[in-house]
Amino acid sequence: MPGDSRRIAGPQDSRAPHWFGRQQETHQEAGGTRQDGRGDHDLRPVYLHTGVVSQATGSAYMEMGQTKVIAAVYGPREISRREEFTMKGRLCCELKFATFSCRQRRQHIQDNQERDGSLIVLQALEPAVCLDKFPKSQVDVYITVLQDDGSALAAAITCAALGLADAGVMMYDVVVGCSVRQCGEDQWLDPSVREEFRPEVESAGDHGMVTVGLLPSLNQVSALVLDGHLQQQTAVQAVKTCISGCQGIYPILKDCLVSSTRRNVPSLEQKSGQTSTDGQNGQT
Amino acid sequence: MSSTLGVLSDAERLFIVHGVQDDLRSDGRACEDYRHVEVETDVVSNTSGSARLRLGNTDILVGVKAEMGEPDPGRPKEGKLEFFVDCSANASPEFEGRGGEELAIEVSNALQRIFNSKSTLDLTALCIIPGGQCWVLFVDVLVLECGGNLFDAVSLAVKAALYNTRIPTVIVTADDEGQQEIELSDDPYDVKRLDVDNVPLIVTLSKIGHRHVVDASWEEELCSLARLTVGVTQKGTIAGLNKEGSGSLDPESIYEMIESGKKVGVVLNSRLKEALEKEENSKREKVGFLG
Amino acid sequence: MAADFKTAQPVEYYRRFLKEDVRPDGRELGEIRHTTLNIGSITTAEGSALVKLGNTTVICGIKAELCNPTAEEPKKGFVVPNVDLPPLCSPRFRPGPPSEQAQVVSQLMADIIQNSGVVALEDLCIVEGKLCWVLYCDMLCLDYDGNVVDTCVISLLAALKNVLLPEVRVSEETGDPVTDMEKKLPLNIRKCPVATTFGVFDDHYLFTDPTNEEECLATGVLTIVTTEDNKICCMHKPGGTPLSESRLQDCINRALTRAEEVRKLIHETINSVER
Repeated sequence: MPGDSRRIAGPQDSRAPHWFGRQQETHQEAGGTRQDGRGDHDLRPVYLHTGVVSQATGSAYMEMGQTKVIAAVYGPREISRREEFTMKGRLCCELKFATFSCRQRRQHIQDNQERDGSLIVLQALEPAVCLDKFPKSQVDVYITVLQDDGSALAAAITCAALGLADAGVMMYDVVVGCSVRQCGEDQWLDPSVREEFRPEVESAGDHGMVTVGLLPSLNQVSALVLDGHLQQQTAVQAVKTCISGCQGIYPILKDCLVSSTRRNVPSLEQKSGQTSTDGQNGQT
Repeated sequence: MSSTLGVLSDAERLFIVHGVQDDLRSDGRACEDYRHVEVETDVVSNTSGSARLRLGNTDILVGVKAEMGEPDPGRPKEGKLEFFVDCSANASPEFEGRGGEELAIEVSNALQRIFNSKSTLDLTALCIIPGGQCWVLFVDVLVLECGGNLFDAVSLAVKAALYNTRIPTVIVTADDEGQQEIELSDDPYDVKRLDVDNVPLIVTLSKIGHRHVVDASWEEELCSLARLTVGVTQKGTIAGLNKEGSGSLDPESIYEMIESGKKVGVVLNSRLKEALEKEENSKREKVGFLG
Repeated sequence: MAADFKTAQPVEYYRRFLKEDVRPDGRELGEIRHTTLNIGSITTAEGSALVKLGNTTVICGIKAELCNPTAEEPKKGFVVPNVDLPPLCSPRFRPGPPSEQAQVVSQLMADIIQNSGVVALEDLCIVEGKLCWVLYCDMLCLDYDGNVVDTCVISLLAALKNVLLPEVRVSEETGDPVTDMEKKLPLNIRKCPVATTFGVFDDHYLFTDPTNEEECLATGVLTIVTTEDNKICCMHKPGGTPLSESRLQDCINRALTRAEEVRKLIHETINSVER
C-alpha cells in the first residue's frame, strides 16, 4: 500500500492465485437448483450469540452459512468531536471487511463499498434507536465482516441491531436484514457469495439484488437497497420476499435475546454457555 | 442531511405537511410535479462532453473527460467510468468546511450504483485493446448551488453530459513484430458517441406526512425523514433503489413510491431525450450555416 | 464496597490481592488464562486460526498472493504480518490509522518471524527472480483484555500451520504462472515460536498473562519468545521496572514450560481437524 508507513509493507504488486487458475470459478446460473441444494426461498442456518466482546457495552456475533459477522457497541459516551449541543443522541456506524474475508484480499483502509455499507447500516438502525433518550452523547457501532459468503450487508444489519439490544440501548424495535437475488425468473433468498449479483458479469433481463432492513414488530422498512435492473413488478415481489425472509430470522433473534437475558440474570435460570458450532475446538 | 440547517419553524413545517396532504405544495405544484428544468450541453470547451443543469435553484455542472488508461484486471474488455463529486462550499451554507464531503460520497455512491450494472452503459464500447488499453471516462460533477433534490439533478446532468460526450476514434494497427500501436484520428469530427438510452435517471421520493412528493424543494426536504431514490430507465425498468434518511417506511408506501417513481421517471427520461435532441439539431443547423 | 475501593484506589486494591498471592480474577500469580483454539474456520483465507486467551480474542487470517521477488533477494518470498487493534475490540482504540501500540506489536511479530525462522523465505520462492509467494498474515483483535502479544503469536503459528497453497507451475509457452486450485500443499513450518508475557508490579511481584486492568497497573512488562529447541528467539521489555538476573532466569524457565503446553495444544487441535 503506498504511503502507509504505519503498517508493515509487502511487495508493491501482487495477485491472488485464482487469477492464474486454469478453471474459471463456477457461478450460479439461472434455472435449476441452487448449488447448496437449498430451495429458492430457504434461509441458511443462522447462529446468533451476544456478549462476545468483553470490553464493549454490548456485542453480537452472527453466522449465516459461512458468512461471519461480529459487531461491538460502545456508549452512550461523550461525543468525540466538539460539536454544538444536540438534544438528540448520535449514532455512528463503521463497517469493515477483514482483509481475509473475501476471495480477493481487501485493504486495511476503508474502501468505497465499506463506506457505502456503513451508511446503509446507519440508516437502517437510526429509525429503531430512541436517540432522544441520550442527549449530548453518541453510540458507536463497529461491525467487522470476518468472512463474506454472501448477504454480508444483511447480516451486518441484524448483527448490529442485536449488539445494540445487548448493550441495553433503548430501541423501538430490533432490525433484521435479509437479501434476495433476482436472477431472471428465479428468486433466491439469502444468496451465498456464488449466487450474489455481480454487475460486471450479469446483463440483460431481470437481474439484481435487493437488501431490506425490517423493524419486524412495527412492520416498517428501515433499509432498502436494490442493485441491478428489475421490472417494477419483480422489484416489488423481491422486496416482499425479503420482508418474509426477515420475518423468518426474527424468531431466532428473539430466542437469542431471551437466552442472553437469562444468562445475564442468573436468578431467572442457570444456563450453561453455548459454544460455536463451526470449526474445531481444542482447550488446555 | 439537513438537520443543521433547521431554520424551519413548526408553523412552516405544519403548513408544508398540510399542503402536501391536500396535493397542493407551497410553490403551487402537485405531489408528482417536477420543477422547471433547464439543460444546456457542450458548455465547457476543453472536455469531451459537458452539461449544465438548473432544477429550481439547484445548479449542477458536469464535465466528462475521456482519457486512455488500463482496464481493471478482472474486466479486461471493458472501459471504466470514474465519478468525482464536489459539493462547492458556495452551494449551501452546510457545505462549509468539510460539510459537503459526506454528501458528495453519497452522491457518487448513488451514481456508481446505477452505472455499475452492465445493462446501463455498454462499457465494451470503450475498450481499445483488450487487457491493454481502454477509455476511462472521468465524470466530474460540480454542485454550484443546492436547492433541494440534488440526486435527481445530478443524474439528469450526468446523462446529458454523457449524451454530449464525443470520444475520438482510434485505430489499432499491429506492426511486423505484433506490437500494437494506437493511432488517433486526425479529423476532429471523426468521433464516437455513447449510447445513453439505457442510462437511468434517479427519481427521489420524499415521504412527507402520509404522502410522498417528487422533486422536493429544500424546505420540503427538511420536513421529510425518509426518502427513496429510484433509478428509472426510459423503458421503465427499476435500476437501483435506496432508502435514505433516518426514518423508516411502511412496505405498502414503498410499493406506491416505486410506482410513482417509475411513472415520473419514464416521462422525465423522454423529456430529457427530446430536449437534448432538439438542442443538438439547432446547434447543427448553426454549424451548417457558418460552414 | 469492594467495587468502590477498586474505583477509588485501584493500585492499593490490587496490592492487597497480590500480598495474598492471588489476583482479583482468582488466578494465582503464575497462572495463565484458559486458552481456546479454533483452526481453519475462515475458508476464504489460505490459513486461519482464532485464539481466545481468557477474554482476549485474536483471529489471524493468511492470504497468499503471487508476486515478483526483489532484485536483491531473488530467492526469497515475503511474509507480511500486520496486527490490527480496531475500535471494535476495546474503548481505548479509536477509528483511524493504526495506533502506536498496533505498530509496535506488528513490528514485534515481524521480528519474531524473522528471528525464529518459522517459515524459511526460500520455501516461498517458486521461480528464482521471477515468481514467489507473499503471505499476508493479518491478525485482527476482536476483544482486547490484555496480553495481545501472546495471543497474536499463537494465532499466527496456528494459522501458518493451517496454510494450504495451491500448486503453481510456470507455463513453458507463455511464461505465465498456472495455478492448480484443486491440488493444495501445506507450508513447511520449521520452528514453533511461542510468547509468554509477564507483568511486574511494585518492582517486586511478578505475574504471567496480564489482563487489560493488570497491564494498566503494571510497572513493567516482559515478553519472552522461545522455540521448541529451548532457544530464546526474541525478548521484548519496553522500559519499566528493572529485573534481576535470577528473576529473569525464573521467567525464562516458566516461558519454556508454557511454550511446551501451547505447542501441544496446537498439535492436538490440528490433528483433530480432518483434512
